[in-house]
Amino acid sequence: MHKRQISRREFLRLSALTAAGAVLAGCKQSATTTEPAKETVAAPPTEEAQPTAVPAVKYSEAPMLAGMGLPPVEERLPEKPLVVQPVESLGEYGGTWHRAFLGVADFHALGRLIYEAVLRWPRDPKDPIQPGLAESWEWSEDGKALTLYFRKGLKWSDGAPFTVDDVIFWWEDIENDTNITASRHIEWVVNGEPMQLEKIDDVTIKLKFAGPNGLAETTGLAFHGCQWPLGFERFGFFAPKHYLTKFHPKYTTGATYEQFEEKAFNFNTELPVMYAWKVSQWEAGATEMVAERNPYYWKVDPAGKQLPYIDRIHYALVESGDALNLKAIAGELDMQHRRISFSQYTVYQENAEAGNYHLLIWPTAQASTITLFPNQSYPDPKYRELLQNLKFRQALSLAIDRNMINEVSFLGQAIPRNTTVVRDSPLFQPDIEQYYAEYDTAKAQALLEEIGLKKGSDGFYQFSDGTTIELVIEGTDAVSGANMDALELVTQNWNDIGLKTVLETMSRDIYWPRANSNEVMIATWETDRGLVPMVDPIYQFPFDERSWMAPAFGTWYKSGGEKGEEPIPIFKEVQELYNQYKVTVDAAKQIEIGKQIVRKATENLFCIGTVGQPPSLVVVKNNFHNVMEKHTSDWIIFTPGTMDPPQFWIEQ
Amino acid sequence: MLAYIGRRILGMIPTLFIVSVITFIIIQLPPGDFFTTRAIEAAMSGGGQDKETVKTMQERYGLDKPLYVQYWRWVSGFPRGDFGYSLEWNSPVLPIVLQRMGYTLQVGGLSLLFMVAVAIPIGIYSATHQYSFGDHALSLIGFLGLSLPGFLLALLWMFLGIIVLRIPVGGEISKGMADQPWNLAKILDYLNHLWPPAVILGLASTAQLQRIMRGNLLDVMGQQFITTARAKGLKEKKVVNKYGVRAAINPLISVMAMEIPKIISESTIVGIVMSVPTTGPLLLRALLTQDMYLAGTFLLFMTLLLMIANLLADIALAWADPRIVYT
Repeated sequence: MHKRQISRREFLRLSALTAAGAVLAGCKQSATTTEPAKETVAAPPTEEAQPTAVPAVKYSEAPMLAGMGLPPVEERLPEKPLVVQPVESLGEYGGTWHRAFLGVADFHALGRLIYEAVLRWPRDPKDPIQPGLAESWEWSEDGKALTLYFRKGLKWSDGAPFTVDDVIFWWEDIENDTNITASRHIEWVVNGEPMQLEKIDDVTIKLKFAGPNGLAETTGLAFHGCQWPLGFERFGFFAPKHYLTKFHPKYTTGATYEQFEEKAFNFNTELPVMYAWKVSQWEAGATEMVAERNPYYWKVDPAGKQLPYIDRIHYALVESGDALNLKAIAGELDMQHRRISFSQYTVYQENAEAGNYHLLIWPTAQASTITLFPNQSYPDPKYRELLQNLKFRQALSLAIDRNMINEVSFLGQAIPRNTTVVRDSPLFQPDIEQYYAEYDTAKAQALLEEIGLKKGSDGFYQFSDGTTIELVIEGTDAVSGANMDALELVTQNWNDIGLKTVLETMSRDIYWPRANSNEVMIATWETDRGLVPMVDPIYQFPFDERSWMAPAFGTWYKSGGEKGEEPIPIFKEVQELYNQYKVTVDAAKQIEIGKQIVRKATENLFCIGTVGQPPSLVVVKNNFHNVMEKHTSDWIIFTPGTMDPPQFWIEQ
Repeated sequence: MLAYIGRRILGMIPTLFIVSVITFIIIQLPPGDFFTTRAIEAAMSGGGQDKETVKTMQERYGLDKPLYVQYWRWVSGFPRGDFGYSLEWNSPVLPIVLQRMGYTLQVGGLSLLFMVAVAIPIGIYSATHQYSFGDHALSLIGFLGLSLPGFLLALLWMFLGIIVLRIPVGGEISKGMADQPWNLAKILDYLNHLWPPAVILGLASTAQLQRIMRGNLLDVMGQQFITTARAKGLKEKKVVNKYGVRAAINPLISVMAMEIPKIISESTIVGIVMSVPTTGPLLLRALLTQDMYLAGTFLLFMTLLLMIANLLADIALAWADPRIVYT
């Protein structure tokens, strides 16, 4: 609370500054315009000068682009550029955005700033899907065909036109080439049939499916609909055909797939891109990376200024998260959310004034930060039966002291709750957030007695054959230290009500395959994907082997019944709901089904949550503008991607 | 002498071979490989890769092959200067390693210079002013330096720089300087970032060398040829500097050679703490991500560096001490 006041005051001060800036704007702007003016005078070609005479000039460009021999901005922009509403104010051009990252493996440091998909996740998660590269889209009556209308005149960062051929290239030569993509993304396979593409003209394409496709808009086009391969995520919907065919073995003899991957990777400085900043300086082992503005970027602000406002992003390579945080505390980062550590909150506050920055707190879209997955497909039949009993799981949930976990591990800043989607999600239903989330050991024990469990002489509950129930929680300390403290507390809580529980921790390289292959009795992890869970619903029901509430049932669902084990009815019911979800094209109906799935998952305690929506910290320099103050952060929506980083601006 | 150097260099080859085998095996010991590790990494940051994708990648880069095949793929490229492909950096290994070795050599070399320049004068002073206040004070500082691990010093320096002094510390160069062309200001800034890790790396060894220098010199000063020199009426300054130090410094060269491995291993953790581009941080990262060719090549080059340093120390010893002759 204290912090928020400061930031608001800071904010008022800043808006006052901006107001004062408006008065000064005259001289400031004349100062900025003199330079390009000079350049235009210096450059003999008259192209620049003429449009100024013609009244048609409505778009303007960044001063740094003048004199680079580029075609005029009107020709670089598409016919109808996307107009981005600034979060607060119209910006000025210029500046370098300083950030820090941990190297190639930290791909998201760049990946989340270059969210440019065919359709877009909305800025407010409750809004519908927004236009992106495609300005409009249209479903056929039966939901089996989707026509995409791309903006006319879109161009790659090297000036080459962007057409639907770039989409077809991706589909035929990347997504359908098993040397590159092991198996097609599920949203493009309906009823076992891969989609068919029909090119209508250069900017219009029809996607045809074997049945109605309810995942196309969200998972397909808003989430995966980026430029392939988006770093290691290896998804996309288009790729620069004119450039990449030179390295594709199908088109060029002697080319190799290794080389193809290398050239397609976003850190290749020659790669044509569709996003706002293109990596312009990077080599393996280097200690810095620079991304510069794409002069052909296809978005403008309401005043007609071509975005992005900021000229370049500079990434300093640091060797550890601690070093990154030190940099941020010293005020060397202009705006960063990624890897800023909440546990250093007080240090950040103490140094805010000296570092000339302020802090924002964005809750994370984690349904629960430490989630327990009682494995309902556990091989041992005795434990399987026990874990499949809802009353048993309810007792487990009631026995957890969530307030204690919140205090010990999260400075009281998270929300004690059970596993259900986060509050900002369109699927959120307030009445189930606290489902069996109170701390009530008496009720928990009553439930255990009710299902016929009796305590032995050692005070621990036993199976009916007289053997003691021994629960094993397995976890990995690689996630975070705070989580280990919380897991110790849960173990203690369960032992306290008479359930013998041990906690085993191991390296993640051992843990992860164990959990995926159905060997763990009670697995633990953080359950993110709490904002738009249906994109990858592994925490809602057994969806694949990563659904640790029943990996064997998940494998069954994913393989269409070929592998794994047939799920018990309750899971089949939810899987059936998701099957419906997948074939529902209407967004409102989809939300209804989604809500049912979420309700079933929560009310059956498929996973047991502890505390959720933990805070995450954002460091913003006081001269860095248009960052949203309130936002639920999630990688699925590319935080801060949905708030359009190209409209961030730095006051010079 | 030349024959001796030639033999020593030839002798390095089997050592390097053994080291390459051992490092390769050790790197492969942890469960999983680069791609399974990365799949988990992706899952932890919210993404996800399925088993098939991981398998395709393993096949493409030959990670599904038996260990000896992978090993052969690596070593068979050495004669061509091909040290394998770094999966994490999407690049051949050699340029990455050379670049980082360069910086490590700069830091390491500077810290050796620092050691010599500080330890020897202090050692001489302590020996000639035995049990004086200055001797005690310098010994105290020396012991402090000896007992404080380098990474702690690095952390203290980072804290001091950032929170107290508010100067840019850590990294290779200041924010804002990176984009500029090389000029005097940038070179100064670069050096300004170079000396702290060098000093921190050298401090522990400096303390040790200073103690050894003191002890050696005290030993030598008690010997008969010194008494003779004094009896002949030589100035005390000349007795100490020309005869005493000359004899006392020989063992120091061997000790310094022994300090080099320490500097190399210390540079790993100091490099990580201070975020300077030495080999250390990349090596650690390569080990964590199981980027085996990169990690292996780093270890190989570090071994090579060590052996060359030892050879140089032996040659220096022969040059400094006429009693030693190599045949």
